[in-house]
Amino acid sequence: MTVSNALRGLAAALGFALYLPAAFAHHSVAGQFDVGKTVKITGTVSRMDWINPHTQVYVDVKEPAGVVTWKLESLPVAMMRKAGLTKQLLIGDGQEVVVTLHPARNGTEHLGYILSLKYKDGRTYQFSRDPNGTATASGGAGT
Amino acid sequence: MKRITLCSVVVMAAFGLTGVGLAADSGPRMADGHPDFNGTWDNGGGIDFLQPQKLAGGSVCVTGCAPPPGAAPPPPPPAAGAAAPARPGPDRPRYKPEFQAKVKALEANQVKTDPVLRCLPPGVPRIGPPDKIVQTAREIVFLYEDVSGPFFRIVPLDGRKRADESETYLGDARGRWEGDTLVVETGNFNEETWLTDDGSFHTAGLKVTERLWRDGKALEYRAVANDPKVLAEPWQLRPRRLMPATLELAEPAPCIDQDLENVVDGTSHDNPR
Repeated sequence: MTVSNALRGLAAALGFALYLPAAFAHHSVAGQFDVGKTVKITGTVSRMDWINPHTQVYVDVKEPAGVVTWKLESLPVAMMRKAGLTKQLLIGDGQEVVVTLHPARNGTEHLGYILSLKYKDGRTYQFSRDPNGTATASGGAGT
Repeated sequence: MKRITLCSVVVMAAFGLTGVGLAADSGPRMADGHPDFNGTWDNGGGIDFLQPQKLAGGSVCVTGCAPPPGAAPPPPPPAAGAAAPARPGPDRPRYKPEFQAKVKALEANQVKTDPVLRCLPPGVPRIGPPDKIVQTAREIVFLYEDVSGPFFRIVPLDGRKRADESETYLGDARGRWEGDTLVVETGNFNEETWLTDDGSFHTAGLKVTERLWRDGKALEYRAVANDPKVLAEPWQLRPRRLMPATLELAEPAPCIDQDLENVVDGTSHDNPR
């Protein structure tokens, strides 16, 4: 496949470039998301946009004031396919999912980049290692 | 001694000929006698550098995975203050001195200036080797699944021209056979694409020559891009070896950028093509 070598581009950019030495650290993930912060939220996938250059996952989280929808960026379609992942697998039949993410760098609420999805049935989809170790927040919003 | 020398020459010649014969394994052939390039190909670049791990219970790890049992541990991170490891060797065109500043300026703001990140076609040769090839005696069609969308290039083998000869993102390709090698020469590009991910602009004078040949099951790909107005020399891309892929192309996904409005730091996307 071609990621156009953009993927190799985006891929690298999205995935492992996060964890390369500083000389590699200029890429769009760090340009848009705070890779120094990791947040965990728990909710259900309410919508999945199967689009390029990044797929978008929408996760509904119940909070005391009502349901909040997070818009979460993930890998390009071709990379998802290469990993054997589909739109339906990511939606997960509406079951509970714990999302580990980097929040937006510009302060936009409920916007993030997915590091991993862990579904109630035990499946985990990891797209990047968490550079910050164990997340400090869990449940609900928590930027 | 003379006899030994003569024998050596004969053996070396025979070995050499045999070696050439093996290297020239052109694989399956079409009815017209030309090598058969049909198929879906893992081009060794793009997403194909990914090696996702399928784990127990349906889990998947795409990147940053724990090493499998028995694998060597990853190298430790560099010590504080240590020099960063050398960047991988460049596969980049070399520009004339007067154009190098422009390349650096585009690269320095790549996230906001890169056409691909705005869902525009990547151009040639940035798009890389094809992901799928459909071949007939009259034409060869290259199909691509790129981050900015699906693309195709029709390579006529009969010399015909497009009715519309305006400049395009992927240019006008002409193909011909040189023995068992397919030679594709492409020009008539617009100036809206880059040669690489790092600000490597080009002019409408860009010409790209691609060569493909079979080596058994594999397909070898070479490309040279030349734009004498701005490049100091023709740029020969790194060799690529394509292998048959098991993952078929899928229905194209639309490309809709949703990132740029939230980008705080627009510097390089760091795409290691």
